[in-house]
Amino acid sequence: MRGEEQNITTATGRVEKDVLAALGRPGLRYLAGVGLCALLALMLFILWGGLALRGLGLSGKNHPVGWAMLITNFVFWVGIAHSGTLISAVLYLFRARFRTSFNRSAEAMTVFALLVASLFPLIHLGRVWVFYYLLPYPSERLIWPNFRSPLVWDVFAVTTYLIVSLVFFYVGMIPDLAIARRRLPGLRGRTYGLLSLGWQGTVLQWRHYGRLYLFLAAFATPLVASVHSIVSWDFAVSIVPGWHTTIFAPYFVAGAIFSGTAMVITLTIPMRRWLRLEPYITVDHFEAIAKILLFTSLIITYTYLVEHGLSLYGNSPFERDQYLYRALGDYRVLFAIMIVCNSLLPLTMFVRRLRRNLAWLFILGILVNIGMWLERFVIIVASLSHDYDPYAWGTYNFSLVEFGITVGSFGLFFLFFLLFVRLLPVLSMTEIKEHQ
Amino acid sequence: MTERFVFESREEFLERLRALIDEGTDPQSIRIRMPYQVPEVMEILGERPDRLRFFALFGALTGFGSGLALTIYSVLSWPLIVGGKPIISLPPFLLIGYLLTILCGSLGAFFGFLLLARLPSGRGLAEGAQFPERFVIVVGEEEEP
Repeated sequence: MRGEEQNITTATGRVEKDVLAALGRPGLRYLAGVGLCALLALMLFILWGGLALRGLGLSGKNHPVGWAMLITNFVFWVGIAHSGTLISAVLYLFRARFRTSFNRSAEAMTVFALLVASLFPLIHLGRVWVFYYLLPYPSERLIWPNFRSPLVWDVFAVTTYLIVSLVFFYVGMIPDLAIARRRLPGLRGRTYGLLSLGWQGTVLQWRHYGRLYLFLAAFATPLVASVHSIVSWDFAVSIVPGWHTTIFAPYFVAGAIFSGTAMVITLTIPMRRWLRLEPYITVDHFEAIAKILLFTSLIITYTYLVEHGLSLYGNSPFERDQYLYRALGDYRVLFAIMIVCNSLLPLTMFVRRLRRNLAWLFILGILVNIGMWLERFVIIVASLSHDYDPYAWGTYNFSLVEFGITVGSFGLFFLFFLLFVRLLPVLSMTEIKEHQ
Repeated sequence: MTERFVFESREEFLERLRALIDEGTDPQSIRIRMPYQVPEVMEILGERPDRLRFFALFGALTGFGSGLALTIYSVLSWPLIVGGKPIISLPPFLLIGYLLTILCGSLGAFFGFLLLARLPSGRGLAEGAQFPERFVIVVGEEEEP
Protein backbone atom coordinates (compact mmCIF):
# COMPACT_ATOMS: atom_id res chain seq x y z
CA MET A 1 0.00 0.00 0.00
CA ARG A 2 1.25 3.45 -0.88
CA GLY A 3 -0.04 6.93 -0.20
CA GLU A 4 -0.46 9.44 2.56
CA GLU A 5 -2.12 8.65 5.86
CA GLN A 6 -3.04 11.16 8.48
CA ASN A 7 -3.21 10.07 12.09
CA ILE A 8 -5.46 12.69 13.51
CA THR A 9 -7.31 12.54 16.79
CA THR A 10 -10.89 12.83 15.65
CA ALA A 11 -13.14 15.60 16.89
CA THR A 12 -16.16 13.57 15.86
CA GLY A 13 -14.96 10.73 18.07
CA ARG A 14 -16.08 12.75 21.06
CA VAL A 15 -19.67 12.67 19.78
CA GLU A 16 -19.52 8.89 19.58
CA LYS A 17 -18.01 8.59 23.03
CA ASP A 18 -20.55 10.91 24.64
CA VAL A 19 -23.59 9.34 23.02
CA LEU A 20 -22.50 5.74 23.50
CA ALA A 21 -21.58 6.41 27.14
CA ALA A 22 -25.30 5.90 27.81
CA LEU A 23 -24.92 2.26 26.79
CA GLY A 24 -22.60 1.62 29.73
CA ARG A 25 -23.31 -0.10 33.01
CA PRO A 26 -26.66 1.02 34.44
CA GLY A 27 -26.79 2.63 37.87
CA LEU A 28 -29.03 1.69 40.78
CA ARG A 29 -31.48 4.52 40.15
CA TYR A 30 -31.93 3.37 36.57
CA LEU A 31 -32.52 -0.22 37.66
CA ALA A 32 -35.01 0.97 40.29
CA GLY A 33 -36.83 2.94 37.58
CA VAL A 34 -36.93 -0.09 35.28
CA GLY A 35 -38.17 -2.26 38.16
CA LEU A 36 -40.97 0.15 39.05
CA CYS A 37 -42.09 0.52 35.44
CA ALA A 38 -41.95 -3.25 34.94
CA LEU A 39 -44.20 -3.72 37.98
CA LEU A 40 -46.70 -1.20 36.64
CA ALA A 41 -46.64 -2.90 33.24
CA LEU A 42 -47.18 -6.26 34.94
CA MET A 43 -50.17 -4.75 36.74
CA LEU A 44 -51.61 -3.74 33.37
CA PHE A 45 -51.39 -7.29 32.03
CA ILE A 46 -52.77 -8.86 35.22
CA LEU A 47 -55.74 -6.48 35.23
CA TRP A 48 -56.28 -7.06 31.53
CA GLY A 49 -56.28 -10.80 32.23
CA GLY A 50 -58.92 -10.19 34.90
CA LEU A 51 -61.06 -8.22 32.46
CA ALA A 52 -60.74 -10.91 29.83
CA LEU A 53 -61.66 -13.69 32.27
CA ARG A 54 -64.39 -12.02 34.31
CA GLY A 55 -65.81 -9.69 31.66
CA LEU A 56 -66.02 -5.97 30.97
CA GLY A 57 -68.35 -5.57 33.94
CA LEU A 58 -65.17 -5.02 35.94
CA SER A 59 -64.78 -1.69 34.16
CA GLY A 60 -66.95 1.30 35.00
CA LYS A 61 -68.54 1.36 31.54
CA ASN A 62 -72.31 1.46 31.48
CA HIS A 63 -75.26 2.55 29.41
CA PRO A 64 -75.00 5.12 27.89
CA VAL A 65 -71.22 5.49 28.39
CA GLY A 66 -69.93 2.47 26.47
CA TRP A 67 -66.67 4.13 25.43
CA ALA A 68 -64.79 5.52 28.36
CA MET A 69 -61.35 5.39 29.92
CA LEU A 70 -59.94 2.63 27.70
CA ILE A 71 -60.81 4.47 24.49
CA THR A 72 -59.58 7.72 26.08
CA ASN A 73 -56.24 5.99 26.57
CA PHE A 74 -56.21 4.76 22.99
CA VAL A 75 -56.76 8.26 21.60
CA PHE A 76 -54.25 9.72 24.05
CA TRP A 77 -51.44 7.30 23.16
CA VAL A 78 -52.03 7.54 19.41
CA GLY A 79 -51.81 11.30 19.88
CA ILE A 80 -48.54 11.02 21.78
CA ALA A 81 -47.11 9.16 18.80
CA HIS A 82 -47.71 12.02 16.42
CA SER A 83 -45.06 14.39 17.54
CA GLY A 84 -42.41 11.78 16.79
CA THR A 85 -43.36 11.74 13.14
CA LEU A 86 -43.64 15.51 13.06
CA ILE A 87 -40.14 15.94 14.47
CA SER A 88 -38.57 13.18 12.40
CA ALA A 89 -40.28 13.51 9.09
CA VAL A 90 -41.85 16.93 8.75
CA LEU A 91 -38.96 18.86 10.28
CA TYR A 92 -36.56 16.79 8.14
CA LEU A 93 -38.35 17.90 4.99
CA PHE A 94 -38.19 21.50 6.24
CA ARG A 95 -34.48 21.04 7.04
CA ALA A 96 -34.93 22.22 10.65
CA ARG A 97 -31.58 21.43 12.22
CA PHE A 98 -32.75 21.35 15.81
CA ARG A 99 -34.60 18.13 15.05
CA THR A 100 -31.28 16.27 15.36
CA SER A 101 -31.44 16.69 19.13
CA PHE A 102 -34.87 15.16 19.45
CA ASN A 103 -35.56 12.97 16.45
CA ARG A 104 -34.28 9.64 17.80
CA SER A 105 -36.12 9.98 21.13
CA ALA A 106 -39.22 11.19 19.32
CA GLU A 107 -39.14 8.28 16.85
CA ALA A 108 -38.72 5.83 19.72
CA MET A 109 -41.57 7.52 21.53
CA THR A 110 -43.77 7.14 18.44
CA VAL A 111 -43.15 3.41 18.21
CA PHE A 112 -43.64 2.82 21.95
CA ALA A 113 -46.74 5.01 22.17
CA LEU A 114 -48.29 3.11 19.23
CA LEU A 115 -47.48 -0.23 20.83
CA VAL A 116 -49.21 0.91 24.02
CA ALA A 117 -52.10 2.50 22.10
CA SER A 118 -52.75 -0.65 20.11
CA LEU A 119 -53.39 -2.56 23.35
CA PHE A 120 -56.44 -0.50 24.24
CA PRO A 121 -58.84 -1.48 21.46
CA LEU A 122 -57.87 -5.07 22.25
CA ILE A 123 -58.54 -4.59 25.97
CA HIS A 124 -61.79 -2.83 25.11
CA LEU A 125 -62.86 -5.79 22.95
CA GLY A 126 -63.29 -7.95 26.00
CA ARG A 127 -62.98 -11.23 24.12
CA VAL A 128 -59.52 -10.42 22.89
CA TRP A 129 -58.99 -13.90 21.47
CA VAL A 130 -61.28 -13.03 18.56
CA PHE A 131 -59.35 -9.88 17.69
CA TYR A 132 -58.63 -11.30 14.25
CA TYR A 133 -62.25 -10.61 13.27
CA LEU A 134 -60.99 -7.05 12.74
CA LEU A 135 -58.66 -8.15 9.98
CA PRO A 136 -59.68 -8.88 6.40
CA TYR A 137 -59.08 -12.56 5.83
CA PRO A 138 -60.93 -15.14 3.75
CA SER A 139 -63.04 -17.06 6.25
CA GLU A 140 -65.28 -20.07 5.79
CA ARG A 141 -68.25 -17.85 6.72
CA LEU A 142 -67.49 -15.57 3.75
CA ILE A 143 -67.71 -12.53 6.03
CA TRP A 144 -65.48 -9.51 5.49
CA PRO A 145 -64.97 -6.47 7.70
CA ASN A 146 -67.17 -3.52 6.82
CA PHE A 147 -64.76 -1.14 5.11
CA ARG A 148 -67.26 1.69 5.51
CA SER A 149 -66.75 1.58 9.27
CA PRO A 150 -64.26 4.02 10.82
CA LEU A 151 -63.27 1.28 13.25
CA VAL A 152 -61.87 -0.74 10.36
CA TRP A 153 -60.13 2.38 9.01
CA ASP A 154 -58.54 2.62 12.45
CA VAL A 155 -57.10 -0.88 12.19
CA PHE A 156 -55.47 0.00 8.87
CA ALA A 157 -54.37 3.47 9.99
CA VAL A 158 -52.73 2.39 13.24
CA THR A 159 -51.11 -0.70 11.71
CA THR A 160 -49.72 1.35 8.81
CA TYR A 161 -48.50 4.01 11.20
CA LEU A 162 -46.80 1.48 13.45
CA ILE A 163 -45.00 -0.32 10.61
CA VAL A 164 -43.90 2.88 8.84
CA SER A 165 -42.70 4.41 12.13
CA LEU A 166 -40.79 1.26 12.98
CA VAL A 167 -39.06 1.24 9.59
CA PHE A 168 -38.24 4.94 9.89
CA PHE A 169 -36.88 4.45 13.41
CA TYR A 170 -34.72 1.51 12.35
CA VAL A 171 -33.42 3.04 9.12
CA GLY A 172 -32.35 6.20 10.94
CA MET A 173 -30.36 4.07 13.35
CA ILE A 174 -28.44 1.84 10.91
CA PRO A 175 -25.24 3.98 10.68
CA ASP A 176 -25.31 4.57 14.44
CA LEU A 177 -25.58 0.85 15.11
CA ALA A 178 -22.48 0.41 12.96
CA ILE A 179 -20.69 2.97 15.13
CA ALA A 180 -21.79 1.07 18.26
CA ARG A 181 -20.35 -2.07 16.68
CA ARG A 182 -16.98 -0.36 16.22
CA ARG A 183 -16.94 1.16 19.69
CA LEU A 184 -18.26 -1.68 21.83
CA PRO A 185 -16.36 -4.90 22.42
CA GLY A 186 -17.44 -8.54 22.46
CA LEU A 187 -20.90 -9.90 22.03
CA ARG A 188 -22.54 -6.48 22.30
CA GLY A 189 -20.44 -5.15 19.45
CA ARG A 190 -21.27 -8.19 17.32
CA THR A 191 -24.98 -7.80 18.08
CA TYR A 192 -24.91 -4.16 16.99
CA GLY A 193 -22.97 -5.27 13.92
CA LEU A 194 -25.72 -7.70 12.96
CA LEU A 195 -28.37 -5.05 13.55
CA SER A 196 -26.41 -2.61 11.36
CA LEU A 197 -26.53 -5.22 8.56
CA GLY A 198 -22.80 -4.78 7.96
CA TRP A 199 -23.05 -1.07 7.19
CA GLN A 200 -19.69 0.36 6.06
CA GLY A 201 -20.56 3.86 4.90
CA THR A 202 -19.67 3.38 1.24
CA VAL A 203 -20.80 5.93 -1.33
CA LEU A 204 -23.30 3.43 -2.70
CA GLN A 205 -24.82 2.88 0.75
CA TRP A 206 -24.98 6.58 1.65
CA ARG A 207 -26.49 7.51 -1.69
CA HIS A 208 -29.38 5.07 -1.36
CA TYR A 209 -29.68 5.77 2.35
CA GLY A 210 -30.22 9.48 1.71
CA ARG A 211 -32.89 8.75 -0.88
CA LEU A 212 -34.59 6.19 1.35
CA TYR A 213 -34.70 8.60 4.28
CA LEU A 214 -36.25 11.23 2.05
CA PHE A 215 -38.87 8.80 0.72
CA LEU A 216 -39.74 7.57 4.19
CA ALA A 217 -40.07 11.17 5.42
CA ALA A 218 -42.31 11.94 2.45
CA PHE A 219 -44.46 8.85 3.10
CA ALA A 220 -44.66 9.49 6.86
CA THR A 221 -45.58 13.17 6.59
CA PRO A 222 -49.16 12.63 5.35
CA LEU A 223 -49.59 10.10 8.14
CA VAL A 224 -49.19 12.93 10.68
CA ALA A 225 -52.38 14.42 9.32
CA SER A 226 -54.27 11.30 8.36
CA VAL A 227 -53.92 8.91 11.29
CA HIS A 228 -55.42 11.12 13.94
CA SER A 229 -57.99 12.39 11.44
CA ILE A 230 -59.11 8.79 11.06
CA VAL A 231 -59.15 8.35 14.85
CA SER A 232 -61.30 11.51 15.06
CA TRP A 233 -63.73 10.04 12.54
CA ASP A 234 -64.41 7.19 14.97
CA PHE A 235 -66.39 9.91 16.70
CA ALA A 236 -67.25 12.44 14.02
CA VAL A 237 -68.88 9.92 11.67
CA SER A 238 -71.45 9.08 14.35
CA ILE A 239 -74.44 11.34 15.09
CA VAL A 240 -73.72 11.84 18.79
CA PRO A 241 -73.95 15.55 19.76
CA GLY A 242 -70.48 16.79 20.63
CA TRP A 243 -68.90 14.27 18.26
CA HIS A 244 -70.66 14.93 14.95
CA THR A 245 -68.64 17.88 13.69
CA THR A 246 -66.36 18.59 10.75
CA ILE A 247 -63.77 20.35 12.91
CA PHE A 248 -62.77 17.09 14.58
CA ALA A 249 -60.02 16.02 12.16
CA PRO A 250 -57.84 19.16 12.38
CA TYR A 251 -58.79 19.50 16.04
CA PHE A 252 -57.48 16.00 16.81
CA VAL A 253 -54.36 16.38 14.66
CA ALA A 254 -53.35 19.63 16.36
CA GLY A 255 -54.08 18.09 19.75
CA ALA A 256 -51.98 15.06 18.91
CA ILE A 257 -48.97 17.13 17.91
CA PHE A 258 -49.47 19.30 20.98
CA SER A 259 -49.52 16.40 23.42
CA GLY A 260 -46.71 14.57 21.62
CA THR A 261 -44.48 17.63 21.73
CA ALA A 262 -45.19 17.97 25.45
CA MET A 263 -44.20 14.32 25.94
CA VAL A 264 -40.95 14.81 23.98
CA ILE A 265 -40.10 17.69 26.30
CA THR A 266 -41.03 15.65 29.38
CA LEU A 267 -38.82 12.76 28.29
CA THR A 268 -35.80 14.60 26.93
CA ILE A 269 -35.23 17.03 29.79
CA PRO A 270 -34.40 14.31 32.37
CA MET A 271 -32.72 12.15 29.69
CA ARG A 272 -30.42 15.03 28.73
CA ARG A 273 -29.41 15.52 32.34
CA TRP A 274 -28.92 11.87 33.28
CA LEU A 275 -26.94 11.05 30.15
CA ARG A 276 -24.99 14.34 30.24
CA LEU A 277 -26.06 15.32 26.75
CA GLU A 278 -26.12 19.07 27.40
CA PRO A 279 -23.65 19.85 24.57
CA TYR A 280 -25.95 18.14 22.05
CA ILE A 281 -29.42 19.06 23.31
CA THR A 282 -29.08 22.73 24.09
CA VAL A 283 -31.44 25.23 25.66
CA ASP A 284 -31.80 26.79 22.18
CA HIS A 285 -33.17 23.47 20.94
CA PHE A 286 -35.69 23.38 23.77
CA GLU A 287 -36.68 26.93 22.97
CA ALA A 288 -37.37 25.90 19.37
CA ILE A 289 -39.54 22.98 20.43
CA ALA A 290 -41.31 25.19 23.00
CA LYS A 291 -42.38 27.39 20.09
CA ILE A 292 -44.01 24.35 18.45
CA LEU A 293 -45.79 23.71 21.75
CA LEU A 294 -47.04 27.29 21.85
CA PHE A 295 -48.13 27.23 18.20
CA THR A 296 -50.10 24.00 18.58
CA SER A 297 -51.63 25.26 21.83
CA LEU A 298 -52.93 28.32 19.97
CA ILE A 299 -54.44 26.05 17.30
CA ILE A 300 -56.07 23.96 20.02
CA THR A 301 -57.49 27.07 21.70
CA TYR A 302 -58.81 28.26 18.36
CA THR A 303 -60.53 24.90 17.74
CA TYR A 304 -62.07 25.05 21.22
CA LEU A 305 -63.51 28.43 20.32
CA VAL A 306 -64.74 27.22 16.93
CA GLU A 307 -66.27 24.11 18.47
CA HIS A 308 -68.06 26.11 21.07
CA GLY A 309 -69.07 28.73 18.53
CA LEU A 310 -70.55 26.02 16.28
CA SER A 311 -72.48 24.64 19.23
CA LEU A 312 -73.88 27.99 20.29
CA TYR A 313 -74.65 29.39 16.82
CA GLY A 314 -75.39 26.13 15.04
CA ASN A 315 -79.12 26.20 15.77
CA SER A 316 -79.11 22.65 17.08
CA PRO A 317 -80.56 22.44 20.60
CA PHE A 318 -78.82 19.11 21.14
CA GLU A 319 -75.39 20.48 20.24
CA ARG A 320 -75.93 23.58 22.36
CA ASP A 321 -77.11 21.53 25.30
CA GLN A 322 -74.16 19.17 24.94
CA TYR A 323 -71.72 22.08 24.94
CA LEU A 324 -73.28 23.61 28.04
CA TYR A 325 -73.24 20.21 29.73
CA ARG A 326 -69.57 19.75 28.90
CA ALA A 327 -68.63 23.14 30.34
CA LEU A 328 -71.06 23.34 33.25
CA GLY A 329 -72.33 19.78 33.87
CA ASP A 330 -71.01 16.78 35.76
CA TYR A 331 -67.54 16.99 34.20
CA ARG A 332 -67.07 20.75 34.57
CA VAL A 333 -64.03 20.43 36.84
CA LEU A 334 -62.23 18.27 34.29
CA PHE A 335 -63.26 20.71 31.55
CA ALA A 336 -61.84 23.64 33.53
CA ILE A 337 -58.54 21.83 34.19
CA MET A 338 -58.35 21.02 30.47
CA ILE A 339 -58.77 24.69 29.51
CA VAL A 340 -56.16 25.81 32.04
CA CYS A 341 -53.60 23.19 31.01
CA ASN A 342 -54.12 23.33 27.25
CA SER A 343 -54.97 26.95 26.56
CA LEU A 344 -53.85 29.18 29.42
CA LEU A 345 -50.60 27.76 30.82
CA PRO A 346 -48.94 27.33 27.38
CA LEU A 347 -49.34 31.09 26.88
CA THR A 348 -46.36 31.41 29.23
CA MET A 349 -44.31 30.27 26.24
CA PHE A 350 -44.66 33.78 24.85
CA VAL A 351 -42.13 34.79 27.51
CA ARG A 352 -38.62 34.02 26.30
CA ARG A 353 -37.25 33.46 29.78
CA LEU A 354 -39.88 30.80 30.48
CA ARG A 355 -39.28 29.12 27.11
CA ARG A 356 -35.66 28.70 28.17
CA ASN A 357 -36.47 27.60 31.72
CA LEU A 358 -36.15 23.81 31.58
CA ALA A 359 -37.75 23.23 34.98
CA TRP A 360 -40.88 25.10 33.87
CA LEU A 361 -40.85 23.39 30.48
CA PHE A 362 -40.72 19.99 32.18
CA ILE A 363 -43.64 20.86 34.49
CA LEU A 364 -45.59 22.37 31.60
CA GLY A 365 -45.03 19.22 29.53
CA ILE A 366 -46.61 17.12 32.26
CA LEU A 367 -49.50 19.56 32.77
CA VAL A 368 -50.21 19.69 29.04
CA ASN A 369 -50.41 15.92 28.92
CA ILE A 370 -52.78 15.87 31.88
CA GLY A 371 -54.86 18.48 30.05
CA MET A 372 -54.83 16.54 26.80
CA TRP A 373 -55.79 13.28 28.50
CA LEU A 374 -58.69 15.08 30.15
CA GLU A 375 -59.68 16.64 26.82
CA ARG A 376 -60.13 13.19 25.29
CA PHE A 377 -61.97 12.00 28.40
CA VAL A 378 -64.35 14.96 28.33
CA ILE A 379 -65.01 14.60 24.59
CA ILE A 380 -65.71 10.88 24.84
CA VAL A 381 -67.51 10.56 28.15
CA ALA A 382 -69.46 13.84 28.35
CA SER A 383 -70.86 13.38 24.84
CA LEU A 384 -72.12 9.86 25.56
CA SER A 385 -73.43 10.84 28.98
CA HIS A 386 -75.74 13.43 27.58
CA ASP A 387 -77.04 12.80 24.07
CA TYR A 388 -80.53 13.20 22.58
CA ASP A 389 -82.81 11.38 24.96
CA PRO A 390 -82.92 12.66 28.56
CA TYR A 391 -84.30 9.26 29.60
CA ALA A 392 -80.99 7.69 28.53
CA TRP A 393 -78.68 10.19 30.19
CA GLY A 394 -76.19 8.88 32.72
CA THR A 395 -72.80 9.53 34.22
CA TYR A 396 -69.64 7.47 34.24
CA ASN A 397 -67.27 6.68 37.10
CA PHE A 398 -64.13 4.77 36.33
CA SER A 399 -63.38 1.55 38.16
CA LEU A 400 -60.11 0.75 39.90
CA VAL A 401 -59.40 -1.83 37.19
CA GLU A 402 -59.55 0.83 34.47
CA PHE A 403 -57.48 3.19 36.59
CA GLY A 404 -54.87 0.45 37.16
CA ILE A 405 -54.74 -0.32 33.44
CA THR A 406 -54.25 3.39 32.69
CA VAL A 407 -51.41 3.72 35.21
CA GLY A 408 -49.95 0.45 33.90
CA SER A 409 -49.93 1.82 30.36
CA PHE A 410 -47.71 4.69 31.52
CA GLY A 411 -45.49 2.12 33.23
CA LEU A 412 -45.22 0.11 30.02
CA PHE A 413 -44.44 3.19 27.94
CA PHE A 414 -41.73 4.41 30.33
CA LEU A 415 -40.32 0.87 30.59
CA PHE A 416 -39.89 0.78 26.80
CA PHE A 417 -38.27 4.21 26.88
CA LEU A 418 -35.88 3.35 29.71
CA LEU A 419 -34.78 0.20 27.88
CA PHE A 420 -34.31 2.21 24.68
CA VAL A 421 -32.08 4.72 26.48
CA ARG A 422 -29.68 1.97 27.61
CA LEU A 423 -29.80 -0.27 24.58
CA LEU A 424 -29.78 2.01 21.55
CA PRO A 425 -28.03 5.28 20.63
CA VAL A 426 -30.33 8.07 21.83
CA LEU A 427 -28.98 10.67 19.41
CA SER A 428 -28.27 10.42 15.72
CA MET A 429 -24.48 10.57 15.81
CA THR A 430 -24.00 10.74 12.06
CA GLU A 431 -26.43 13.65 11.76
CA ILE A 432 -24.72 15.52 14.60
CA LYS A 433 -21.35 15.04 12.88
CA GLU A 434 -22.84 16.19 9.58
CA HIS A 435 -24.08 19.43 11.14
CA GLN A 436 -20.97 20.12 13.21
CA MET B 1 -1.04 -0.57 -6.83
CA THR B 2 -3.30 0.90 -4.23
CA GLU B 3 -3.32 4.37 -2.76
CA ARG B 4 -5.07 5.02 0.51
CA PHE B 5 -5.97 8.42 1.96
CA VAL B 6 -7.52 9.07 5.37
CA PHE B 7 -8.96 12.42 6.41
CA GLU B 8 -10.68 13.79 9.44
CA SER B 9 -11.74 17.01 7.77
CA ARG B 10 -14.56 16.98 5.27
CA GLU B 11 -12.99 19.87 3.33
CA GLU B 12 -9.62 18.15 2.93
CA PHE B 13 -11.38 14.97 1.87
CA LEU B 14 -13.42 16.76 -0.78
CA GLU B 15 -10.39 18.67 -1.98
CA ARG B 16 -8.41 15.46 -2.46
CA LEU B 17 -11.32 13.75 -4.18
CA ARG B 18 -11.70 16.66 -6.61
CA ALA B 19 -7.97 16.58 -7.27
CA LEU B 20 -8.09 12.87 -8.04
CA ILE B 21 -10.90 13.34 -10.52
CA ASP B 22 -9.14 16.35 -12.09
CA GLU B 23 -5.99 14.25 -12.45
CA GLY B 24 -8.04 11.88 -14.58
CA THR B 25 -8.50 9.04 -12.12
CA ASP B 26 -11.33 6.77 -13.20
CA PRO B 27 -14.23 7.25 -10.70
CA GLN B 28 -14.88 3.50 -10.94
CA SER B 29 -11.50 2.81 -9.39
CA ILE B 30 -12.11 5.13 -6.42
CA ARG B 31 -13.66 3.58 -3.35
CA ILE B 32 -14.79 5.81 -0.55
CA ARG B 33 -16.10 5.34 2.96
CA MET B 34 -17.58 8.24 4.86
CA PRO B 35 -18.51 8.62 8.54
CA TYR B 36 -21.54 10.67 7.53
CA GLN B 37 -23.37 11.73 4.43
CA VAL B 38 -21.62 14.27 2.17
CA PRO B 39 -23.85 15.18 -0.79
CA GLU B 40 -20.99 16.87 -2.68
CA VAL B 41 -19.36 13.47 -3.22
CA MET B 42 -22.20 12.38 -5.49
CA GLU B 43 -21.75 15.57 -7.53
CA ILE B 44 -17.99 15.06 -7.85
CA LEU B 45 -18.29 11.40 -8.82
CA GLY B 46 -21.24 12.10 -11.10
CA GLU B 47 -24.88 11.42 -10.22
CA ARG B 48 -26.16 8.06 -11.30
CA PRO B 49 -29.84 7.54 -12.08
CA ASP B 50 -31.71 6.85 -8.86
CA ARG B 51 -33.43 3.48 -9.06
CA LEU B 52 -34.81 3.49 -5.54
CA ARG B 53 -37.73 5.66 -6.59
CA PHE B 54 -39.00 2.87 -8.83
CA PHE B 55 -39.22 0.54 -5.84
CA ALA B 56 -41.12 3.20 -3.89
CA LEU B 57 -43.40 3.87 -6.86
CA PHE B 58 -44.02 0.18 -7.48
CA GLY B 59 -44.81 -0.37 -3.79
CA ALA B 60 -47.12 2.63 -3.65
CA LEU B 61 -49.05 1.63 -6.79
CA THR B 62 -49.30 -1.97 -5.63
CA GLY B 63 -50.60 -0.79 -2.25
CA PHE B 64 -53.18 1.49 -3.79
CA GLY B 65 -54.33 -1.18 -6.22
CA SER B 66 -54.55 -3.87 -3.55
CA GLY B 67 -56.44 -1.54 -1.20
CA LEU B 68 -59.08 -0.87 -3.83
CA ALA B 69 -59.17 -4.49 -4.99
CA LEU B 70 -59.58 -5.80 -1.44
CA THR B 71 -62.38 -3.44 -0.52
CA ILE B 72 -64.28 -3.79 -3.79
CA TYR B 73 -63.91 -7.58 -3.84
CA SER B 74 -65.05 -7.85 -0.22
CA VAL B 75 -68.23 -5.82 -0.72
CA LEU B 76 -69.10 -7.72 -3.86
CA SER B 77 -68.48 -10.96 -2.02
CA TRP B 78 -70.46 -9.91 1.09
CA PRO B 79 -72.84 -7.16 -0.01
CA LEU B 80 -74.27 -4.94 2.73
CA ILE B 81 -76.86 -2.81 1.02
CA VAL B 82 -77.79 0.13 3.21
CA GLY B 83 -80.51 2.58 2.20
CA GLY B 84 -80.24 1.61 -1.46
CA LYS B 85 -76.82 3.23 -1.72
CA PRO B 86 -74.19 1.84 -4.11
CA ILE B 87 -72.30 -1.15 -2.73
CA ILE B 88 -68.98 0.15 -3.97
CA SER B 89 -68.53 3.19 -1.72
CA LEU B 90 -65.45 4.82 -3.13
CA PRO B 91 -64.72 7.48 -0.44
CA PRO B 92 -64.02 5.00 2.39
CA PHE B 93 -62.36 2.58 0.00
CA LEU B 94 -60.00 5.31 -1.20
CA LEU B 95 -58.98 5.75 2.42
CA ILE B 96 -57.90 2.10 2.64
CA GLY B 97 -56.15 2.50 -0.72
CA TYR B 98 -54.35 5.60 0.55
CA LEU B 99 -53.15 3.88 3.73
CA LEU B 100 -51.90 0.86 1.79
CA THR B 101 -50.18 3.21 -0.68
CA ILE B 102 -48.12 4.60 2.17
CA LEU B 103 -47.51 1.23 3.79
CA CYS B 104 -46.45 -0.60 0.64
CA GLY B 105 -44.57 2.42 -0.74
CA SER B 106 -42.50 2.64 2.44
CA LEU B 107 -41.85 -1.09 2.55
CA GLY B 108 -41.04 -1.11 -1.18
CA ALA B 109 -38.51 1.70 -0.68
CA PHE B 110 -37.00 -0.09 2.34
CA PHE B 111 -36.54 -3.42 0.59
CA GLY B 112 -35.33 -1.64 -2.53
CA PHE B 113 -32.74 0.10 -0.39
CA LEU B 114 -31.54 -3.22 1.03
CA LEU B 115 -31.21 -4.60 -2.48
CA LEU B 116 -29.50 -1.58 -4.04
CA ALA B 117 -27.20 -0.86 -1.09
CA ARG B 118 -26.34 -4.58 -0.93
CA LEU B 119 -27.39 -5.02 2.65
CA PRO B 120 -27.04 -7.16 4.69
CA SER B 121 -23.44 -7.21 3.54
CA GLY B 122 -21.39 -10.34 4.16
CA ARG B 123 -18.21 -8.32 3.67
CA GLY B 124 -19.42 -5.66 6.08
CA LEU B 125 -20.33 -8.26 8.69
CA ALA B 126 -16.98 -10.00 8.43
CA GLU B 127 -14.49 -9.71 11.26
CA GLY B 128 -12.34 -6.60 10.91
CA ALA B 129 -14.68 -4.70 8.59
CA GLN B 130 -15.74 -1.45 10.22
CA PHE B 131 -17.74 1.69 9.60
CA PRO B 132 -14.91 4.27 9.75
CA GLU B 133 -14.64 7.26 12.03
CA ARG B 134 -12.87 9.23 9.27
CA PHE B 135 -13.11 9.73 5.53
CA VAL B 136 -11.26 7.05 3.58
CA ILE B 137 -10.39 7.09 -0.11
CA VAL B 138 -8.82 4.07 -1.75
CA VAL B 139 -7.64 4.27 -5.34
CA GLY B 140 -6.82 0.97 -6.95
CA GLU B 141 -8.25 -2.38 -7.73
CA GLU B 142 -7.28 -4.82 -5.07
CA GLU B 143 -7.85 -3.60 -1.58
CA GLU B 144 -11.19 -2.74 -0.03
CA PRO B 145 -11.09 0.44 2.04
